[in-house]
Amino acid sequence: MEFSFMYKEGGAHPDEQKGFTDSKPIVEASVPKIMVYPIAMHIGAPADPIVEVGDQVKVGQMVAKEGGFVSAHVYSSVSGEVVAIEKRPQAGGGEVDSVIVKNDYAYTRAEPIVKPGHSSEMTNKKIIDTIRKAGIVGMGGATFPAAVKLAPPEEAKIDTIILNGAECEPYSTSDHRVMFEYTDEVIKGIDIVSQLYPDLKNIYIGIEDNKKDVKKALEKATADNKKVTVQTLKAMYPQGSEKNLIKSLTGREVQPGELPADVHVILLNVSSARAVYHACELGEPLLERVISVSGTPIRNPQNLKVRIGTPIESVIDDCEGFSEIPGKVLSGGPMMGRAVGDLSVPISKGMTAVSVLTRQEAQIDEPEDCIMCAECLHVCPVSLQPILISEAFERGDIEKAEKLGAMDCIECGNCSFICPSKIPLLDNIRGAKAAIQAKQEG
Amino acid sequence: MDNSIDMKKAQNKLQVGPSPHIRTRRTTKSIMIEMLIALVPPMIAAVYFFGWGVFIQLVVASGVAVLSEYVFQKMTHRKVTISDCSALVTGTLLGLSFPVTVPLWVVTVTSIFAIVVVKQWNAGLGNGGIGRNYLNPAVTARVCAKIFFTPFFTDWILPTGFLGGPYGGVDAVSSSTPLEFIGHGAQSVSNQVPALRELFLGANLGGNIGETSKLAILVGMLYLIFRRIISPKIPLLFIGSTVLVMCFWGSFDLEFMLTHALTGTLFFGATYMATDYSSGALTPGGKTVFAIGGGVLTALLRIVFDYPGGLGIAIIIMNICAPFIDQKLMPRIYGHKKRPEVKFDRQSPNQL
Ligand code: SF4
Ligand code: SF4
Repeated sequence: MEFSFMYKEGGAHPDEQKGFTDSKPIVEASVPKIMVYPIAMHIGAPADPIVEVGDQVKVGQMVAKEGGFVSAHVYSSVSGEVVAIEKRPQAGGGEVDSVIVKNDYAYTRAEPIVKPGHSSEMTNKKIIDTIRKAGIVGMGGATFPAAVKLAPPEEAKIDTIILNGAECEPYSTSDHRVMFEYTDEVIKGIDIVSQLYPDLKNIYIGIEDNKKDVKKALEKATADNKKVTVQTLKAMYPQGSEKNLIKSLTGREVQPGELPADVHVILLNVSSARAVYHACELGEPLLERVISVSGTPIRNPQNLKVRIGTPIESVIDDCEGFSEIPGKVLSGGPMMGRAVGDLSVPISKGMTAVSVLTRQEAQIDEPEDCIMCAECLHVCPVSLQPILISEAFERGDIEKAEKLGAMDCIECGNCSFICPSKIPLLDNIRGAKAAIQAKQEG
Repeated sequence: MDNSIDMKKAQNKLQVGPSPHIRTRRTTKSIMIEMLIALVPPMIAAVYFFGWGVFIQLVVASGVAVLSEYVFQKMTHRKVTISDCSALVTGTLLGLSFPVTVPLWVVTVTSIFAIVVVKQWNAGLGNGGIGRNYLNPAVTARVCAKIFFTPFFTDWILPTGFLGGPYGGVDAVSSSTPLEFIGHGAQSVSNQVPALRELFLGANLGGNIGETSKLAILVGMLYLIFRRIISPKIPLLFIGSTVLVMCFWGSFDLEFMLTHALTGTLFFGATYMATDYSSGALTPGGKTVFAIGGGVLTALLRIVFDYPGGLGIAIIIMNICAPFIDQKLMPRIYGHKKRPEVKFDRQSPNQL
């Protein structure tokens, strides 16, 4: 056993819980009668619906058009009739305007967004345009529009692409399965993106050291590309966070207020890379994604290829339903995911997993006094002192919380997770961040 | 499916709330219980070497500690927190910190002092209570006991076996602690010091009941490290730096060096006391400095002053310095050039 294994700083080790699904092949999810397409499945301006109730739509037909530069189109993933445009609940609470399509099960296809089979001849502009047209966003959960992220200003001189295959959230196995089963599509997606950057020197594929099968498959697929390094990283949480990954792989640190592009790095999620391939080479907009549906209360946990817009109930049905009353259903994993209060919430572009916790697992005990064990400091990936920020906030000393770096918190949740006294550290830090922001806006 | 759960029923019971949605199973109480488990090897050694009388001493020490916390919290109308077991740990540590000849009233007074004055009242320096006391209760109380009550327990009796001891009717044999032969500015080992093997095992060795067997302490230390209750760097750097200073002072005499490592409270203190959360340093850098500082001070106190109990004083000095060390060594935040500049304080947000 390595010494560092026992006492490592900057990460935590929540139970991985990947055994439910990590060796199960991806299967096609069933498609329900009613599909829901929220107009805001991305960061930025919501899209504007361009269909009306009663319209017939085809598979791959746009139903909502981007609402600005930082925005993304929304497509129908089935053919059928638009039956409503109304507010529908979303993960994490609240409601959002959504286009509701009644599936006719004919799957009539719309025209491809570009002529298939010509990705290698595309100009940079054409590639970016196609990615924009396809409505691709960061599919690891960040949901930032890919066309904006992949086209930084020329001065950025991107020299490194990082494919983020470090799927550190407990339960999640979708990236793992995508890398393993769709290796070629992912690699071709990276190839297309790498055409964009003349200064490109390195392509790192960062995966966790517990994914031996994937490492082999990726190395085989990239054997003749000298720029590619498949790099294994220690399996810990949050290894897959942008800042961590950039630091682990390149040694560079993104300064506050900067983007990865400012340190010449572009990060790409596994599924996003695959979506780029589908868009540029096959002319398909973003219509589907792979998710893992997992957790003790799920009778038959699986990895599913799901059409975007499928309500969560439907994928849970595909997994033979619940075997016990669940405590929490999460969009994403238990560390950073959002609790779903309504099972009609659809699978969206950035939803990596549906993780279900038992009532006992979701139980959060009453906070006690801090015992100054310093665990929260040890696990913070950006070296904050969560307890000091939390206490400054509780005292109402916002200025101090700011000086202690509250704004640098990446909200990974490690500190709240690890605290033996069950102090809601991240909740308090979020509170401090909101107060700081309110103060700055004056 | 016959036994399947209805979706609607599941939906109505769904909980929502902010992330993270899971918590570690570890609690304050479970940490304290693991501390107690780590104290079992020294307890066994104590009973083995000094007899069943040890039990009485331990029960009195820990019982009084818990009781005084309860009474204090009741009287001051605070929340009673004895169920977190932290007072039990302090009491047990104190119980192991005296020779078996100690009068029980000394143990009682020391226990009350540790809990009421040092832990809860925080020596008058601010809010006390778990996680808030600046000084280590067990260390401070035993240093004070040593100063005020020394005449009552200077007799370091040699091990008497399970049925022996002061209650066993066998005449105890008094001896001096080995440290008295190598302290006082000595630079080499006098021939009155027991062999290294005996020092390590605690066989035929007088002293505070929990501290004679370094083997037992080592087992406890490894347990705490493997269970991730303490950072390994604290005991290792602490003992390491004492040894290193002794190494230079004794002109690289290996035996002298090892004898120092294995005598006195060094092992016990470095494992169970310097690692105390509340009175130690909070930041990773602070912990390093705290441990090295404590180790070096222990060595210097042993060399310069005629004072074998250097470790206690060293820890108290480091306890006092800890907030200042932390202030200087706050970790640099990712992406920032400098360490944060802000006053470091550990006062409770819920001022009483
Ligand atoms: S992890 Fe919890 S108990 Fe430990 S120092 Fe941080 S806030 Fe305090
Ligand atoms: S302070 Fe923020 S970044 Fe640090 S562990 Fe807590 S949630 Fe993660």
